[in-house]
Amino acid sequence: MSGYFTSDLSIDELLLVEECGFEPLELVQGSSYYHIGWSSAPWTTNMELGNVSQMMLAARHVAMKRLTDQAAQLGADGVVGMRIDMEREGHHAEFVAVGTAVKRRKGDGAAWRDRYGRPFTSDLSGVDFWGIVRAGYRPVSLAHGVCVYHVAHLSLGQWWKSLGQAQQNMEHAAFTQGLYDARELAMARMQYEAHEAGATAGVLAVDVREESHGWDSHVIEFVAVGTGVAPLDAADHELHAPARAVLFAQD
Amino acid sequence: MANYVRPQVQRQALPQHAAERIQRMRGGGPGQGPRFFTSDLSVKEFLLVREAGFECAGLVMGSSIYHVGYQQAGYTQNMEMGVLTQALYQARELAMARMEEEAHELGADGVIGVRLRVNRHAWGENLLEFVAIGTAVYGRPETGQKFQVQTWRAPSGMPFTSDLSGQDFWMLLKSGYRPVSLVMGNCVYHVAHQTLGGWFSSVGQNIEMPNFTQALYDARELAMERLQYEAQLDGASGVVGTEVYETSHGWDSHVIEFFAVGTSVLRIHAAEAPPVPELVMTVNE
Repeated sequence: MSGYFTSDLSIDELLLVEECGFEPLELVQGSSYYHIGWSSAPWTTNMELGNVSQMMLAARHVAMKRLTDQAAQLGADGVVGMRIDMEREGHHAEFVAVGTAVKRRKGDGAAWRDRYGRPFTSDLSGVDFWGIVRAGYRPVSLAHGVCVYHVAHLSLGQWWKSLGQAQQNMEHAAFTQGLYDARELAMARMQYEAHEAGATAGVLAVDVREESHGWDSHVIEFVAVGTGVAPLDAADHELHAPARAVLFAQD
Repeated sequence: MANYVRPQVQRQALPQHAAERIQRMRGGGPGQGPRFFTSDLSVKEFLLVREAGFECAGLVMGSSIYHVGYQQAGYTQNMEMGVLTQALYQARELAMARMEEEAHELGADGVIGVRLRVNRHAWGENLLEFVAIGTAVYGRPETGQKFQVQTWRAPSGMPFTSDLSGQDFWMLLKSGYRPVSLVMGNCVYHVAHQTLGGWFSSVGQNIEMPNFTQALYDARELAMERLQYEAQLDGASGVVGTEVYETSHGWDSHVIEFFAVGTSVLRIHAAEAPPVPELVMTVNE
């Protein structure tokens, strides 16, 4: 190894990544630039905008793919501290994925790659990476689930009826059902994607968000992101703890 | 406690994609953990939950979009807006009950790290969206034996709920308590506008405004009293981590919701002695 590396890891992250038997190689990135086409939904219907969902997912996948391609070229076994940011300008959106490529020092990195032999990806910090390795897991891939949903406008008849019910406390069943299910869909897709990538144990540190990206006010994007993990093979798991590790009870 | 009814929530079937998602996580049978977990706990929380003798079961969620009715208050009158109080309470209970139902379907013993959010959307005037989200957990069999706890579930038979973080959950068990349920109380209050006479008598002076003091004091006390009442219904020994929030949900500036939320806890009889704190110098900032 040349011993020269670049990374955006902090010092304690660096220390703990090395403690896990990895060395940082290079800061890697991938980006994609998409035009968000429009998909019209019937004015008074609650429904998923399927092709917008697919596009928002594909754009993230393309950015991630470019990042992992770059990491693979460097001979990396994985990427830690990865994050995907989105910049939107009108109907155009840029997705940028950045992370630190790392390589197993002992040369047994193949066991750490995903089922297609690509470097693993994870949005965990170096500290969290160390934590899950200690707990007997390895990260497999950053999994995403997306659902872009159109919320119905009231029809004239419904609007008229709603005037009569303005004083009443009641649950709006159709909206509840629609949004509840849309959020569930995003979570289910993330779960499925992680499982398909070979994360046989589960998905950690999930973030479920919703954004409207300044589109039509009736269109919401639900995104679920988390790091899929698989159990670490016993042979691989010979980590020496630092002299004294303190897990803070407070955050 | 006048005009205050604890809402009853009917158990309902889960929406299609929720049922499918839970199905894919579920394990083989009773006593076995799920075959696949999801969790929104941080890695530190995840590790401490395992250290406490529990395992993550899955991310669970419930939501409700609620139409909030209308109520008129006298301009110079301090009063509770009972209609609004009930609406916000009922909607939160609906979201919570759905989340509990998901945890129940997963075969979990409880839900930790519950967050209750209220969203307002541009498309829905007078509509509020309530979302409850948390990570379902289950106790490993040896944990129950160690603490001599038959079931970790709440007295209702549903999984326990708690807004404690993984760190707090670990500490709570270490100090000899277990969570029972997320308890809450709320009160929407109309704070009277000042009368002209009142304005004249106070202008330019340093004096307490008894009207306003009384209103906010009352409202906050009502919310806290209701929270306590819920905890007593659960047969809990106390409530920890209570926070009181004030929000106006985009209403008139004189209408405020006080929302108190905390976790009711029960003493574990076979608890270990709580750990003695130690001084540690950290190398992190």
